[in-house]
Amino acid sequence: MAKLVVLQPTKQPPISLLSSSLSHFNGTKLCQIQYKRKVCQPKGALHVAASSTKKILIMGGTRFIGVFMSRLLVKEGHQVTLFTRGKAPVTQQLPGESDSDYSDFKSKILHLKGDRQDFEFVKSSLSAEGFDVVYDINGREAVEVEPILEALPNLEQFIYCSSAGVYLKSDILPHCEVDAVDPKSRHKGKLNTESLLEKSGVNWTSLRPVYIYGPLNYNPVEEWFFHRLKAGRPIPIPNSGVQITQLGHVKDLATAFVRVLGNEKASKQVFNISGDKYVTFDGLAKACAKAGGFPEPEIVHYNPKEFDFGKKKAFPFRDQHFFASVEKAKHVLGLKPEFDLVEGLTDSYNLDFGRGTYRKEADFSTDDMILNKTFALQS
Amino acid sequence: MAALASSSSSLLFTSPSSKLPSPSLYPLPRLSLPTSSFLSSSLSTSPSSLSYPTASRRHSASSFTVRAAAAGKKKVLIVNTNSGGHAVIGFYFAKQLLGSGHEVTIFTVGDEGSDKMKKPPFNRFSEITSAGGKTVWGDPADVGTVVAGATFDVVLDNNGKDLDSVRPVIDWAKSAGAKQFLFISSAGIYKPTDQPPHVEGDVVKADAGHVGVEKYIAEVFSSWAIFRPQYMIGSGNNKDCEEWFFDRIVRNRPVPIPGSGMQLTNIAHVRDLSSMLTLAVEKSEAASSNIFNCVSDRAVTLDGMARLCAKAAGLPVEIVHYDPKAIGIDAKKAFPFRNMHFYAEPRAAKDILGWEGTTNLAEDLKERFEEYVKIGRDTKPMKFEIDDKILEALKVAVAV
Repeated sequence: MAKLVVLQPTKQPPISLLSSSLSHFNGTKLCQIQYKRKVCQPKGALHVAASSTKKILIMGGTRFIGVFMSRLLVKEGHQVTLFTRGKAPVTQQLPGESDSDYSDFKSKILHLKGDRQDFEFVKSSLSAEGFDVVYDINGREAVEVEPILEALPNLEQFIYCSSAGVYLKSDILPHCEVDAVDPKSRHKGKLNTESLLEKSGVNWTSLRPVYIYGPLNYNPVEEWFFHRLKAGRPIPIPNSGVQITQLGHVKDLATAFVRVLGNEKASKQVFNISGDKYVTFDGLAKACAKAGGFPEPEIVHYNPKEFDFGKKKAFPFRDQHFFASVEKAKHVLGLKPEFDLVEGLTDSYNLDFGRGTYRKEADFSTDDMILNKTFALQS
Repeated sequence: MAALASSSSSLLFTSPSSKLPSPSLYPLPRLSLPTSSFLSSSLSTSPSSLSYPTASRRHSASSFTVRAAAAGKKKVLIVNTNSGGHAVIGFYFAKQLLGSGHEVTIFTVGDEGSDKMKKPPFNRFSEITSAGGKTVWGDPADVGTVVAGATFDVVLDNNGKDLDSVRPVIDWAKSAGAKQFLFISSAGIYKPTDQPPHVEGDVVKADAGHVGVEKYIAEVFSSWAIFRPQYMIGSGNNKDCEEWFFDRIVRNRPVPIPGSGMQLTNIAHVRDLSSMLTLAVEKSEAASSNIFNCVSDRAVTLDGMARLCAKAAGLPVEIVHYDPKAIGIDAKKAFPFRNMHFYAEPRAAKDILGWEGTTNLAEDLKERFEEYVKIGRDTKPMKFEIDDKILEALKVAVAV
């Protein structure tokens, strides 16, 4: 059975005046204070409540999104615990992060070691600890969330990392939060989780990213292009190359996760979070080249139906239009992405691939299949 | 804060066959377009009555008529082109303004008696005059004379594509004391990009005629707004749009689409363009010194448009793709939409004017098809010479 490891003494959860636990307090005085606080907030202001210290649990948090998000939360003064199996180091110094920033973060972040598939442990350990807010950034199925909700009946907010992959494929785009979702999609676990959250009555917020990119990306999105650009290889792109996709920088996503914390406007709302502009496949190849200071790439289009790649993925994106409008987050939360595509890819390159780090070794076997056939036809 | 703040939770589980945004889940008002009385009667109430009653995406702008009253009655001059896709914009705008209680004169370029005036929307101008609007004709270079010294608060030029044709109107409007100048430009001036969509402020083609006009307006007027539309549908349209697809679908002919068919375009119902213009008039301060992409808030692929037209007609469709260059076809003559992504979003209108789009192609095309059949176009004999050339080159059979 997994052990509960707490690196710092547990603190009493602070009295959050806007939390549901207020109902346990009979004092009318508190109610008046709450009312006054609400009235005093300037219109559109970022909620005084958000600045009160929360005891936050992040399911995951040691791999990609959580690495950035947890830092922001700790900087804001919250008590942040990461629930992971401990397979990856609980903390790692970020490229470009100063030693002092890192040691400060490392000294404050807490770890709860466990396997979230062990639902009994999840329930008992969370119940024992008590948390104000849960960020679930690695959950895939609704059953994984049930023990969390059971363990924390007074949870102030459950913030979920869903996916724009839930949208039903359409000729009419972009995907907006009100659009039809696909109960048969590969991401139906995310949909089922959103549904569970809605039915449970908890104060939930769900963010739907599209493709996430940035330093430490474990999904070979930009890395796939960088490998080929570095090797001076052509970029094989399926079909016309005009398919439109969308990338969102991980730092912008982390900011979005923090922005919705304690935010009434985010209560029981879904938000698409990604870049402000979309990009064609061909355009993305060019943007990656620009970001890494490579010359304009040679792009080779091919018909994927003419090949049998086996289990290998010849291209890291779905071969279709896939992009979502982020206007709701802009209007409702005042969230404007900081990075444009080339800036964001440059940030990723400078802090990761450009320093010689990457997650997956280059594999050009499918490229060679494509190029051999293409150039054989040409010769 | 714009309208979206009122969204309720919006998790929608629909059957996989539904590809529509949420408005399809709500009962829709049946907009029976062909009768001329519809437009004048429904537009006399607030524009929100034309929007679908969905809670989450569409903000119920019940205060529209209040705003119109608060903004004050305006005297508006519309200088309108006598042909082409943009002609219908002035028609809807005139009627919406009249319905909101403003005074409208529509100045159509050319002669009242010309053959061009026998086509829609001009052959329906009685709908403007019966609603209290004035209609005049002439040369925009003589606008002052034609309107016989009348003064206007707002002037919209929905005609010129370059400075030569619009400058006389701008200069006259300024000297005649108009306070606000509006111009229908074009989203076609955006420089092609591989990072869509076109957003207000993006680079435009320096040599485009409209650009010179936009610059000059900003120099002359302090209160101005520029609108960049793409394509539009709506009863009274002067130029074919959806008809191109219907013509082929009802005759069981393949629909030849250049390229991959994945190109995105923006096809709005003209009532959305009209509502944006009306908002700019009634919120002139907010609108001032802004460019607005005058488009619907969703794009559609070219293949998707063919499919939607077929669905609206209740008929099957066979789409055939071709490479125009490879078979020596001029795509501009063969196909009514640009053979590339041509995709702008109406972000400024939403941010600044609180505008909401109501275009719902699936529903709007049903009405368009009803009218298409009503006027007998489905049985009209037609030639498809270019199509035949394309299909011949591709060796595709055509039902005789």
